[in-house]
Amino acid sequence: MNDIVSGALLFTGERSAQGFRINKMAASLTEPANRDRFKADEDAFMRSFGMTDAERQLVHDRDWKGMMDAGASIYVIIKIGGSTGHPLPVIGNHTAGRV
Amino acid sequence: MATIIGGIGSSHAPTIGNAYDKGLQKDPMWEPLFTGYEPARAWLDEIKPDLFVIIYNDHVNRFFFDAWPTFALGVGAVHKQADEGWGKRPLPDLPGDPEFGWHLARSLVDDEFDPTICQEMSVDHGVLSFLPMLTDTDWKIPVVPLAVNVIQHPVPSARRLFKLGTAIRRAVESFPKDKKVVVFGTGGLTHQLHGKQFGQKNQAWDNEFMDLLESDPEQLASLSLTEYMERGGTEGVEMIMWLAMRAAMGPTVKRVHRNYTAPLTTGYGLLALAS
Repeated sequence: MNDIVSGALLFTGERSAQGFRINKMAASLTEPANRDRFKADEDAFMRSFGMTDAERQLVHDRDWKGMMDAGASIYVIIKIGGSTGHPLPVIGNHTAGRV
Repeated sequence: MATIIGGIGSSHAPTIGNAYDKGLQKDPMWEPLFTGYEPARAWLDEIKPDLFVIIYNDHVNRFFFDAWPTFALGVGAVHKQADEGWGKRPLPDLPGDPEFGWHLARSLVDDEFDPTICQEMSVDHGVLSFLPMLTDTDWKIPVVPLAVNVIQHPVPSARRLFKLGTAIRRAVESFPKDKKVVVFGTGGLTHQLHGKQFGQKNQAWDNEFMDLLESDPEQLASLSLTEYMERGGTEGVEMIMWLAMRAAMGPTVKRVHRNYTAPLTTGYGLLALAS
């Protein structure tokens, strides 16, 4: 199966493995206590998930397209957006290069 | 013997739950969606189901990619609401049906489907976004949720979902007690949530899909996932879950109601079918 469909990256198991740390951090934001920890100190919170310097930089920069290129799932990065105040249209348009 | 008395196909989206909670039922953008559910709701009130079996997908709220099931069945007595990252909605937990749930588990495994059996199964907007428009939110009708992986590829084929529906039908028909069951297939319709075509819908395909679901579901079961995604976006692949509902209904159905609106990034479809 081609891994680019409809002009978008297909979220394959291999991409999921590549983005595992970002995705795990983002999915943890379904816990209110984790949202509080993330908002209080994003960098420390992300380090606790073993995220690399490059991965943490993508989140610092709100580089949604970069996060997806690094293996993040759209369904989890909207949870980061839930804590940073970036709704789906902002994230989606960024991944489309329309910003 | 239990019987399937109806089938519902419905889109699911966080935006729908958000509009409901904000009381936007009469808002010009949302009114066509909310009023569209009213005839289906009236029909359900009339036929009085005892149980909902809801085929849906989890959006990385109950499960994470450390252990991501292709199929997962909720057999518990209660299904809590999952927090999706922005707080829970003001809705009570959903009642389950362990007796039917365990029967369905046994029947599916006998039928060569092997879901992950979940005694705790929190549910997200895949179940809760449309449900308040179709039944009272004190949740008198128990729910057995069946989650399908439509997010992390490999994703099961449209044909596999169709076969799942026939297996659900056999399970219902082999349940020894009287029970009137309505089966739900949820998700879609077309939407593309990222990439160059972000926000693109395909309203012609959405409507053709609902036509074919009623009249020629075999044709839909024959399409590849790539065809679904090329027509309806990578996230539009959720539409295959409607096929499980349709197959559970058996060969012939009678349309009770149909609605379609597309005010945002997703085509919102609703189809109510009687046996």
